[in-house]
Amino acid sequence: MSREAVIIRRNQLGQWAGFIGGGAALLGIIGLLWQGGLTPIIIGLLVAGAAGLGLWALLSPQEFVGFVTGRQARYGTVAVFGTLLLIGIVALTYIVLQRAVLTLDMTEGQRFTLSSESLGILRQVTQPIRITGFYSPRALQLREVDDQFFRLYEVATDGRITREYIDPDVNAAQRNAFGVTEDGSVFISYLNPDGTPNLNTLMRVPIERGPEPSNQERDLTGAIARLLAAGTLTVYFDTSNGALSPFDTSQQGLSAINDGMRANGVITSVLNVADLAQSGSSIPANAAAIILARPTQDYTEAEVQLLGSYVKGGGALLILADPLFNEDAFLRQDGALNRFLWDTFGIRARDAVAVENDPGASAQSPLDIISAAVFTDTDIGARLNSDETPTLFTVARALEVNDSPPPDVANGRVILTSQNSYGETNFRALAETNTYQFDAGQDIPGPLTTVAWANIQQTNGRVVLIGDSDFVTNGMVGTGGNGILFTDSIAWLTRFGERINFKPQAFTTGLPMVFVSTQTLDLIAFITVILMPGLVLLTGLAVWLRRQRLQA
Amino acid sequence: MLRGTGTIFWREVGQYFASPVAYLIAFALLLLTGLLFNSDLTFSLTQKPADPALIPSFLALAMVFFAPLLTMRMLAEESREGTLELLLTAPVSDTAVVIGKFLSAWFYYTILLLLTFTYQFILLAITQPDLGLAVSAYIGIWLYGGATLAVGLLFSSLTENQIVAAFLSMSVLLLLWLGDIAGEIVANLDLARVLRQLSLGGHFSTSFAVGLLRAEDVAYYAGIMVVMLFITTRIVESHRWR
Amino acid sequence: MIEVHKLTKRYGYHLAVDQISFEAHPGEVVGLLGPNGAGKTTTMRMLTGFMPPSEGSARIAGFDVLADSLEVRRRVGYLPERVPVYPDMTVKGYVTFWAKLRGVEKPRARVDAVLERVHLTDRRNTLVRNLSKGLRQRLGLAQALVHDPPIVILDEPTIGIDPQQVIEVREAVRDLGKHHTVLFSTHILSEAEQVCDRVVIINRGKIIAQGTPDTLRTQLQHGLSLYVEIAGAGKEAGAKLLKALTGVESVTAQGNGFVVRARTDVRGEVADRVTRAGYRLLELRPVAMTLEDIFLDLVGRGK
Repeated sequence: MSREAVIIRRNQLGQWAGFIGGGAALLGIIGLLWQGGLTPIIIGLLVAGAAGLGLWALLSPQEFVGFVTGRQARYGTVAVFGTLLLIGIVALTYIVLQRAVLTLDMTEGQRFTLSSESLGILRQVTQPIRITGFYSPRALQLREVDDQFFRLYEVATDGRITREYIDPDVNAAQRNAFGVTEDGSVFISYLNPDGTPNLNTLMRVPIERGPEPSNQERDLTGAIARLLAAGTLTVYFDTSNGALSPFDTSQQGLSAINDGMRANGVITSVLNVADLAQSGSSIPANAAAIILARPTQDYTEAEVQLLGSYVKGGGALLILADPLFNEDAFLRQDGALNRFLWDTFGIRARDAVAVENDPGASAQSPLDIISAAVFTDTDIGARLNSDETPTLFTVARALEVNDSPPPDVANGRVILTSQNSYGETNFRALAETNTYQFDAGQDIPGPLTTVAWANIQQTNGRVVLIGDSDFVTNGMVGTGGNGILFTDSIAWLTRFGERINFKPQAFTTGLPMVFVSTQTLDLIAFITVILMPGLVLLTGLAVWLRRQRLQA
Repeated sequence: MLRGTGTIFWREVGQYFASPVAYLIAFALLLLTGLLFNSDLTFSLTQKPADPALIPSFLALAMVFFAPLLTMRMLAEESREGTLELLLTAPVSDTAVVIGKFLSAWFYYTILLLLTFTYQFILLAITQPDLGLAVSAYIGIWLYGGATLAVGLLFSSLTENQIVAAFLSMSVLLLLWLGDIAGEIVANLDLARVLRQLSLGGHFSTSFAVGLLRAEDVAYYAGIMVVMLFITTRIVESHRWR
Repeated sequence: MIEVHKLTKRYGYHLAVDQISFEAHPGEVVGLLGPNGAGKTTTMRMLTGFMPPSEGSARIAGFDVLADSLEVRRRVGYLPERVPVYPDMTVKGYVTFWAKLRGVEKPRARVDAVLERVHLTDRRNTLVRNLSKGLRQRLGLAQALVHDPPIVILDEPTIGIDPQQVIEVREAVRDLGKHHTVLFSTHILSEAEQVCDRVVIINRGKIIAQGTPDTLRTQLQHGLSLYVEIAGAGKEAGAKLLKALTGVESVTAQGNGFVVRARTDVRGEVADRVTRAGYRLLELRPVAMTLEDIFLDLVGRGK
């Protein structure tokens, strides 16, 4: 009796082991699919499954063999198990490949590959940065595409940049903490010691979601550069005296250089020298540089004093001048600011308009001045090549450089016009009748300086004076070396040259818009909507008719 | 190649080209893609660059309805006409029968795809499309189509009634396609993600269709094809013992 | 040749074929005779490799149907009961397809030859869907013969076609028997007698008799059915009268008369008895034994 009881128990044990093992294996496979990876629980389930099935085979071999090799009613089960096994193998292959992240970027613009600009900035990432994306389930596709990019950043920084996704519908607390306004918002920040995002360093990644493909790389790299440089570098635009606006997005505005600096980690801001002078305040201490972007009115003594003490104390000024034909025009030759520059730095603007008579150094008119010679041994001119990336100024002002500057001051030229140019001093004829003529003795013979620099060696106060302002406007900053001139001027002035890498064209895709005539459109419509389907239909009809004849 | 696969493949291909239905399908597909292509072209005039992935992305939806039409006949008819019994007593393996049929459907689909290359040539003539993206999208939709056809073939093997087979596979394909936008329906993000990973569209719309070839997507479509054909073979085989 | 040993097919608990054993030799036409649902088709399907047997074994040309299924299938030509066709193919295309699938070396020549043999050459370019039932039957035969198989298995090839064509098919099967091993199923006794060298009778999955038609006939001659119509006697009186005769097993009313089943030839006694009882004998004729009768007979005797 006892012997029999043991046998029954052994068999039952085997059955139970098989049953539990099968279930565990199934759960393990489902879990594997669900989690997309091997967690300890899933490994446990799979091991338990294998062990259970093995125990079954061991304890009741006949039944096991019958189950696996049974000829008749077992077919179905075998087929089901075979299918499950195959699904398991396929799922495993899929997961392994998913983990391996094997991708091939097929796009012509290499959209899914980080550019050297991005990699250069990522090399500076030393502290952990977290990318936090807020995507609701509705924005799943958006998230999937964005994630392709974020993944690249994680790989490129060896995991110093990490990704986290939050469902704004579910996690309202986080949503409010980050100030999420729309689905698909992305933020970057440094991490707290406990691994949570440091909200004090939070920056929004301004990914544009429009009909055109978003430019995630440009937006995210820009944000990271900004985060890296955050708080270390602020450039101010002076808005007093009718200067060009950094927020103006029109052709004459400066929004491109403003956005460009921001996208590359420079904090930009505005100040009003006139107001500051009036209220007796001083220039903000964090101003790495101030841009005087062609104000229309000249600065008063008080204002010059304010700027002067700032620059003498180690500040930096980028002065963009232009010939102006109004009374009390900005930087008139005998004005307070021009006098200050000449006295302190040995550089100044002349009341003369550059006229380029060398056809190789002018564009449409002799007033379009192309850089004829560049001092590439200067920091500002180093990347400017007058052949490949010439700068283009329209109606530029001649400058003057004192070759024996005041003590402790170094100055020099960056860009010159050609030998055949001259400085027209008759503003009246130019403004009213648009005529110019070289008058010996009155006008200034070329070559003329159009870009000059100076610095006080002790305090490291720096100035860059440029006889044109149009070249940094939205309409022209992309032309030739104009962007580089601006970038490198700012880089030199703020002494963060290697940190700023402003290249407006770097991330723009090269694909042109579609433009065809309506005739072409009609032809295309005819071919694709009538001709092609029609031909297919006719072929079908012909085949059908031919087969009808086979009836006989 | 398995013995007999070629013979079955060519018979089925011949069947496609002899059948008015196949031409009607090609006609409908070309008409729809043609209309879409023209409307998008008019829309993008001076607005945006041409999108070479437009037609492949549309085909992803279209195949939900066209794949069942291309495959519904294949095994259901054999089963109803009794020819399956002859096939299963011919000296070829069941796998060869299933694979031969599948390959012929995929072949016909490939020809349809080649016809839609016309649109890419037109784009090439009038503008500068991203050719890399076009290649990626076409590789993707080719694999995608293969997977939908494998699903269609599975349902064709399940029933003797072609209409039932087409209806069932359309429903399943629609579900698999909807998985791509699971987030619109399912509120739970994790569940939506899993559904999307399981879906046909989820492995196309955000990778192949934007110019990114990922090994996991290729593995997904290949896996769907292998699993579906395996199950189909088992079902065909089941005629022997059920 | 075909060797079948204790072949069994079980569908769940239902025994479709129960331990049947028989042989068929080259140059022999063997008929599987039995009513619908007797297990004829199931047996044939096991022999063609369509479905595996549950138990027992069968060898075709020396190959086991289970272990060497592909070898078996290469050597068998099979025509299922309902001729399977692809309606949208031409006659020639259809036969060529099967020729290629079965690995015929020179398909074109073989197809032409086999179409000639079944007299379909003039229809070679017709679509199969436009063929009449009889022509389809011939097409099915062409398909089964195109790879010149040593063994031909035909499942009820004469069902549902007109009498003239039935005769043609029977002749064709006889003709086949000269060179091939032919296994052929039918539920018509006379057909089996005409066509087969040997007949295997199965019912409910079991073989109940096998042998040459002559042997079987003598075995079956033991029983006889008569149709008797008597004028003058009522239904009950007539039945009573006939039942009283020695050798009569049963009497059933049919139409205006009776069907009398007897162990021996009782025609004389019936005539004698009816006239002696004062009735008039209107009709007395032997009723051809239907298959059902034979089975009743055989099964009854088996008890």
